[in-house]
Amino acid sequence: MAGGGSLGSGEKQRRGKEGKRKKKHRVGFRLDMTPLVDITFLLLTFFMLTTSMITPQTMELSVPPDLDVPIEVKQSELLTIRVRFDGKLFFNMGTDEPSKVTLEELKKLVVAQNVALKNKCIVVLKSSGEAPYGAVVQILDKLNSAEQSIIRGLKDAGINERNRKFTVAPFEKKDAEDIGGL
Amino acid sequence: MSKIKKKRVGFVLDMTPLVDITFLLLTFFMFTAKFKNEADNQQKFVIKRPQTQADTAKLPEKDLVTIKIGIDTVSKDTAYYLSMLNEQDVASLADAMQRINFPGANPESVVYKISDSLWLGKIIERARIVNPKARFALDADRRVKYRYIEVAINEMRKKRATTFNFVTEKKTGGL
Repeated sequence: MAGGGSLGSGEKQRRGKEGKRKKKHRVGFRLDMTPLVDITFLLLTFFMLTTSMITPQTMELSVPPDLDVPIEVKQSELLTIRVRFDGKLFFNMGTDEPSKVTLEELKKLVVAQNVALKNKCIVVLKSSGEAPYGAVVQILDKLNSAEQSIIRGLKDAGINERNRKFTVAPFEKKDAEDIGGL
Repeated sequence: MSKIKKKRVGFVLDMTPLVDITFLLLTFFMFTAKFKNEADNQQKFVIKRPQTQADTAKLPEKDLVTIKIGIDTVSKDTAYYLSMLNEQDVASLADAMQRINFPGANPESVVYKISDSLWLGKIIERARIVNPKARFALDADRRVKYRYIEVAINEMRKKRATTFNFVTEKKTGGL
């Protein structure tokens, strides 16, 4: 780094003054690096403090394109999860009465139902328009994390394939009435 | 006592290794630093992203259409803010938006503030035409009402953008 700045050219220019000034021998040339280090540290601290290492993550979701053909499903294989306006969860199988669940219970329930119905369970998520988006994403996240347990459960039951059947359905007035008083 | 103590005048320390490492770190941080783009500068709201576990994927670095759904910090109303990532897409979209007379569209437009589903559908369509490869990312505040998300999903679905991403944040601590 600390190489001599002028080796050849400098001597030629000063030829005239050669007699007066004694040529300094450049051995162990030293450069004061303090200002350089100062600035470098300043920049380093700036970049270190402004860099955010956490990049946002994403959760992928695929929805079917708009189909006008309704798909018929068996009520007994339908697991409905409903989110009320205040973010509270309700779940019911088929035409059963909806009951209140927490996020943690929901994961166990979904795993149990999927394994019991041997891959045929269809999970429907219906969310009230007033529910906070964060609550809905939390459910999706829980369902995603339940997948591993489901696959393990199915493997124990002798099924090696997993067909995930999950859908988001619009929240209707009837849904609001069903869970409104609970 | 036989050794004569050297007087420390003009003490010199070899700073070369220090400078080497410092420059190395400096270059690293300089190259990894990501600066706010034009779209972020115009933003008048803070997005508190929903928190999820760490099993999710990373956001693509190009070919991306971001739809932010935020609550304005002053007026408290929810609106959609659409922007595209690729520079040529931004220009093409500005051009397309002017042609369909989007209110306030000009050649320098980067972010489009939309508050109704009709315009949202139109702008999604334009964005799809401008870059058919682009993926959609929904970056919404976790306090936003689900109704707004549903509208956005339905509009994207109508325009055949059936796979999209929810931008989330890694859950820190706890579960």
